[in-house]
Amino acid sequence: MTPLTSSTLLRVPGESDESLETRQHALAKLADFAMPTGREEVWRYVDLDFDLEDFEVAVAAESIDERPPVPDSAGFALVVDGSVVAAESSDPNLTVGRATDRFESLIDPGQDIFTAAQAAHGAERVDVVVADGKAIESPIFIDVSASSEGASFPAVRIRVGKGSEATVALRLRSADDLPALVVPHVEGSLGDNSNLTVVVDQGWGRATRSIGQIVFSVGRDASLKTAEAGLGGALARWQLDIKLAGQGSNAKVVGAYFGDEEQILDYRYVMHHAAPNTHSEMFLKGAVEDEAGSVFTGMIRIDEIAQKTDAFQTNRNLILSDGASAQSVPNLEILANDVKCGHGSTVGQLDPEQRYYLMSRGLDRPSADRLQVRGFFEEALSRFPVPAIVEPLRGRFNEKFLRAQEEGRL
Amino acid sequence: MRNALVIKDLHASIGDLEILKGVDLEIPFGEVHALMGPNGSGKSTLSHVLMGKDDYTSSGSVLLDGEEIMGLGVDERARKGLFEAFQYPVEVPGVSLDDLVEEIGGAVGNGDFASRVAASTAQLGMGRFLKRPINEGLSGGEKKRSEMFQLALVQPKVAVLDEIDSGLDVDAVREVAGLVESSRSENLGVLVITHYSRILNYMKPDRIHVMIGGRIVRSGGREVADELEDTGYEALRAELGLVPVRDPLLDLP
Ligand SMILES: Nc1ncnc2c1ncn2[C@@H]1O[C@H](COP(=O)(O)OP(=O)(O)OP(=O)(O)O)[C@@H](O)[C@H]1O
Ligand SMILES: [Mg+2]
Repeated sequence: MTPLTSSTLLRVPGESDESLETRQHALAKLADFAMPTGREEVWRYVDLDFDLEDFEVAVAAESIDERPPVPDSAGFALVVDGSVVAAESSDPNLTVGRATDRFESLIDPGQDIFTAAQAAHGAERVDVVVADGKAIESPIFIDVSASSEGASFPAVRIRVGKGSEATVALRLRSADDLPALVVPHVEGSLGDNSNLTVVVDQGWGRATRSIGQIVFSVGRDASLKTAEAGLGGALARWQLDIKLAGQGSNAKVVGAYFGDEEQILDYRYVMHHAAPNTHSEMFLKGAVEDEAGSVFTGMIRIDEIAQKTDAFQTNRNLILSDGASAQSVPNLEILANDVKCGHGSTVGQLDPEQRYYLMSRGLDRPSADRLQVRGFFEEALSRFPVPAIVEPLRGRFNEKFLRAQEEGRL
Repeated sequence: MRNALVIKDLHASIGDLEILKGVDLEIPFGEVHALMGPNGSGKSTLSHVLMGKDDYTSSGSVLLDGEEIMGLGVDERARKGLFEAFQYPVEVPGVSLDDLVEEIGGAVGNGDFASRVAASTAQLGMGRFLKRPINEGLSGGEKKRSEMFQLALVQPKVAVLDEIDSGLDVDAVREVAGLVESSRSENLGVLVITHYSRILNYMKPDRIHVMIGGRIVRSGGREVADELEDTGYEALRAELGLVPVRDPLLDLP
């Protein structure tokens, strides 16, 4: 194990001098950052109950014996504790590989202690490249796991060529009792007229903390779809930044999240309209029970140049227990004058009229509530792309609610 | 004749507002009764209080097939054989009728539930609604159809149909009336709640009751409905010496 601020970084296999040097610079800068205090605007609603300094860099176990089953896929990558242990493609128009070279990231390393730490310790990444003008029919699966205590810095970079099409399914997981810290970075650039779909299954173990960033840049007339299911983690945060950079580009973002016990789920989503005629839609539904807390901070930013923008954001929350809390904070920053833009944000409880109606049909209260909650999530899950992934997700949302009922919390 | 439903001195209030002021009613098995009454007289309140909705403070006695059900939970009453078709069926977003049917099967699915589902789906033309969210985006008539469909599935001992005819076109009213008549059985008592005698033209209620101001003020045969049709509720109020309640809509500027 290596302390996070150690003055020497180990070279990862295949890493060039230049790249190692870049990381060493980043490491030197890491010392300038302190843990967020909560006074910073971007950390305002989340209480970080740990110190990065308490973690050492995780080292992947020598051999990976459990290789998750891969459904029919065009490509596949396996990342363990930040190391890319497998990467392959079965489609000639698609590259899925391990990369260690220096690159120009869309994620600014100077944002905070976590981005700075990722710049220093994130030595390797999965590189997904789709050639111009090609449609990759089957999904590309990327499995990111944490297997040892300590901090890990997995990274995924996706580049979709002009006029191309691809779907990436990202799964995040760790054992329930693993007190790991993960700082995942995912970034993607969409060439003109391309389509990219990214589905994230956030299934971290109950003791794992994750502070992640997802950044996309969308080219002219290109379409991005993202979906995230947030089920795991002691603390799981995503900062999602989408820049609609090209004229006529659009993005659809959906999400469903469910926090139980003492889970903290924190979403900070920014939709940046930087070109005219761009469209965006965010639709997220979340529930919390027991003493769980969730935050959704959604920002729509419309540049002066981005006339004819059409942007909408919806965030609906269900509080299932008195001790649980959900915050929904919509923000609009509009500099253009000819736009359509709006938001809908609610925090509520189970509807007694629905409960009464269902119970009048003979369902007992737990069944009636389970059905109502299932319906609540269904409105988000039914918008998820990639049906093969959605079906098991439905089951996991149901099971989580059922477990809370069986353990007497609901 | 054995009674499906016996209501004795039923009172119900919300806060300080007393809505039901001592309701008595008996429905024998095999019979269909109608309950008529002006807006706000307490008809829906009666169906909700029978079903056990917890918005109300209530007292009195309700026997379902001889068994006291006051004090039981909503779902227990349903499982004992009480069914309420809602005047305003509730939308349950994201939950398909199919899902509900499955749950109903688990909760009260006696006998050959699956074949009943198949038969009623075909008879009521419900196929296209099964995959849609419960009551969401359904027309008024379609919602009532869905209520009748669920009634057919659960095979209750007592069915309270709260304005099952409202919002229906004339053909649909005739169809619903026909369904009610054909559901007549030795194991079922029905209370049809309605404003208008229209639906009663297509069925043969054994008795008609009129509720005004939270009490049943008149009970009788077909002639009760005919009389109301002729003279309206105001005349009945006058005859009974009840203080007329002006329709608040008439007072609008
Ligand atoms: N939850 C409630 N809160 C306050 N008042 C109520 C409530 N429910 C019913 N009431 C009042 O009780 C009275 C009876 O209402 P109810 O819905 O039972 O009438 P109804 O006979 O079914 O009328 P309609 O023919 O219009 O359906 C009305 O004056 C109504 O405003
Ligand atoms: Mg009514």
